[in-house]
Amino acid sequence: MTLHAWMVFALTLFCIGLYGVIARRNLIAILIGIELMLNAASINVLAINYFVSPEPAVGQIIVLFIIGLAAAEAAIALSIILGVYRQRASIDVTLLEELRG
Amino acid sequence: MMIGAVLAIVLTLAGAILAVGARNIVHAVFGLGICLCGVALAFLVLGSPFVAAMEVLIYIGGITVAMVFAVMLSTVGREEPREGMAKRVLAAIGALVFFGAGVAIILGMPEQITAPVTPEEAWSVEQIGRDLLNRFNLVFEALSLVLLLAIIGAITIASRSDESHDPTAGEGDS
Amino acid sequence: MNHELLALACVTAPLLGFAVALIGFRRRHSSAAAIVIASGLVSLVASVLLLITARPEAQAFTARWFMIEDFSIEFGVLLDGRTLIMGSVVALITLCIQVYSLYYMASDPGKGRFFAFLALFEWSMLLFVYSANLLQMFIFWELVGLASFLLIGFWYEKPSAVAAAKKAFLMTRVGDVGLFIGLILLFQTSGTLDVLGIANIFEPHGLPESIAPQRIELIAMLLFVGVIGKSAQFPLHTWLPDAMEGPTPVSALLHSATMVAAGVFLVTRFHGLFLDAPTTMTTILWIATFTALLSSTMAMVAKDMKRVLAFSSISQLGFMLMGLGAGSLFAGYFHLTTHAFFKALLFLCAGAYIHSSGTNDLIAIGRAGAARRMKITTIGLVVGGAALAGIPMFAGFFSKEHILSALHGPGQMIFKIGAFGAAFMTAYYTFRMVFLIMRPNPNSQATPDEPAYPHDDAHGPAEPLAMILPIIVLSLGALVIGFFGDKIGAILHVEHIHHPTIGEMAPAVVVALLGVVLAWIDFGRANAKQRGFVSLVPAAEKLFEKRWYIDEIYNTAIVRPVIMIAKLCYGTETRGLDKGIDSLAYSTAKVGREVARGHVGRLQLYIGVAVVVVASLVFYVGMR
Repeated sequence: MTLHAWMVFALTLFCIGLYGVIARRNLIAILIGIELMLNAASINVLAINYFVSPEPAVGQIIVLFIIGLAAAEAAIALSIILGVYRQRASIDVTLLEELRG
Repeated sequence: MMIGAVLAIVLTLAGAILAVGARNIVHAVFGLGICLCGVALAFLVLGSPFVAAMEVLIYIGGITVAMVFAVMLSTVGREEPREGMAKRVLAAIGALVFFGAGVAIILGMPEQITAPVTPEEAWSVEQIGRDLLNRFNLVFEALSLVLLLAIIGAITIASRSDESHDPTAGEGDS
Repeated sequence: MNHELLALACVTAPLLGFAVALIGFRRRHSSAAAIVIASGLVSLVASVLLLITARPEAQAFTARWFMIEDFSIEFGVLLDGRTLIMGSVVALITLCIQVYSLYYMASDPGKGRFFAFLALFEWSMLLFVYSANLLQMFIFWELVGLASFLLIGFWYEKPSAVAAAKKAFLMTRVGDVGLFIGLILLFQTSGTLDVLGIANIFEPHGLPESIAPQRIELIAMLLFVGVIGKSAQFPLHTWLPDAMEGPTPVSALLHSATMVAAGVFLVTRFHGLFLDAPTTMTTILWIATFTALLSSTMAMVAKDMKRVLAFSSISQLGFMLMGLGAGSLFAGYFHLTTHAFFKALLFLCAGAYIHSSGTNDLIAIGRAGAARRMKITTIGLVVGGAALAGIPMFAGFFSKEHILSALHGPGQMIFKIGAFGAAFMTAYYTFRMVFLIMRPNPNSQATPDEPAYPHDDAHGPAEPLAMILPIIVLSLGALVIGFFGDKIGAILHVEHIHHPTIGEMAPAVVVALLGVVLAWIDFGRANAKQRGFVSLVPAAEKLFEKRWYIDEIYNTAIVRPVIMIAKLCYGTETRGLDKGIDSLAYSTAKVGREVARGHVGRLQLYIGVAVVVVASLVFYVGMR
């Protein structure tokens, strides 16, 4: 496994997540897509860290930060989703278009 | 090593495809769980057992479960209309274009590196702990503040039900 | 005594008074007045102590304000003869006027503000006089202008007062442009902003070789332009009579010892420089003489008491500049000092009459019997009038003699004749004023412009102590200051004061007495017609009353074209530029509304488009 292979793998995961974010209409599914993208980034960081970093601990710490932020983001996003559901009885993103011109 | 890497990649991609493709949202969360297992395996292969453990703990143990709760509190058991074909195709095209761009960049990079450049002991958990509390202390503290705010924010947003009518009231779910 | 501390106290007390009175006590009138008067008292005591204990050599206390490379700009206090005397006079007159205002402004709703402005004015004037630095001098010169604007327009609900304040501000501004350019050139030529340093360049008579005489002429001429504006000389004198719209204490303050005196003080400050510019000196003589004559003629026919005094101020300023222009620092400075006393005195007397009679009109004041009711004020009026007219032994006599005897150089005969003419008219119009007030008679053919509205004096004395005290103090000053000529000369370091002999004095005395006698015949004697000899030539009377039509000429030649241009610009602005900008804004908003219609509200579409665009960019950059 070369660095390039790992990076292409991470990119693939990222694009799958991207597809989810663009294509799905369920807010939770969109959130899942975002999580996939974040994980792709983590894999990328760790791969680069593994192959070229002079200080390997730094990459791991960055990934830990990413995980922490992802947790925070997920908590907020889920609470927003619940709030939206309470108000509109739906979490379909295509119905949330009040800002349309 | 090689087997581990291949397994990680297969698990991850399969889980990811399930996560974005499943019609039922519960299945999608399940797919996410599989995918995250694969990612954790990949971390292990990349020589970071500690990060892999954290991945399992926080992602699979925390976030995925929280999503399941969110699904239960909102759309559980509801059959949703599938996204339109055109939308899915367009999304796929967008993702593929991005993929192409990424591959172009990766292949444009100069050398093929195949082996780790650092000795194994530098990967130790002890080193991570030291760095976290010394060099990256400020970021660490900032992140803890962010998490605290996230908790407070999540509670505030999720519990604000007084002014809006509750559509699930009377339907018997708690 | 520590001079530095005294100087600091002298120049900061009014500022503190101003700030405290304006910020803390604007609505508590008595407290504001008390604070300001206390600060004025501190200034007076400090400046008098400085004057008494003055060292023979000049002292400067400065502090650095900021530096530009190695060039430092300093603020400070310069103590030499010229600043010490002037500072004391300013502080004394201001204090008298502040005390006087206690009663004069007693029932005014803006009393606190008034006192705060008085303190601001005193502060600016003191720091202008004491300034050790050209830049500081200019800043406080302008601050004096600002304070006078605020004071002249104090009754801002009165349109005429607002117009007068604006006029004073703008007219002096015309001169200030010249002054500013002059100061910059002076700085460029001398290489220093230090007043003392500049004085040292020019004070030893004879120009340094490195400086071209034309340049000095130019600088002196530009400085004099500023003086013309501030000291109300022809052709920028028209603001001063209008400035009488302000409260009378303001007129007394501005037009005796302070604001208008600032211009003359500037000439005395740089007198060494002016001495090196003979052409400018001649110009000063011409303008000063012409101004003195011109304004005297206007004073002869004015019926408004304050206007008479205003014209007389212009004419006396002309006298001072004549003395300075003739090359005698002492004559001009001495007259500046004496004039401060007797002109402030006359204004305060006028204020007392106006306050009790409710009119500015001389004839109406006389007929209302003000002179009989207000004996002390009338004594003050006679003392001040005598000093102004140059009756022997009164203050104005001595200083005017010095000015007349200074005009002895070759080719200065014409100015001397002009000065005599102005002195004659001064005596005449002064005693016209005095007799019109003191000796109203039933056969008089004079017609007042407005009737008197005597105050209901039941609730207050006709001559309250707060009004009488300053009048008494200034009367004493006007009586004795003339005898201090030698002392003033000594403080100024004038080597030999030329004392006029009896023979030299005689013509001036005769001329002054002639004026008084003529005034007596026209106005004073029993059954006088009180019409004045000018009325024999109706055209001249009309001309004088209309102030030689100078205001009208300015109106037609300058004000109206400017207003027309302004209107044109306004039209272009509103109908052309503004409309264009407006339509631009409206069309932008319209485009925005149209574009918003295409806004579908699909978040995911936007993300997708953004991703594709980013990817395309990457391709594009990668391909190059």
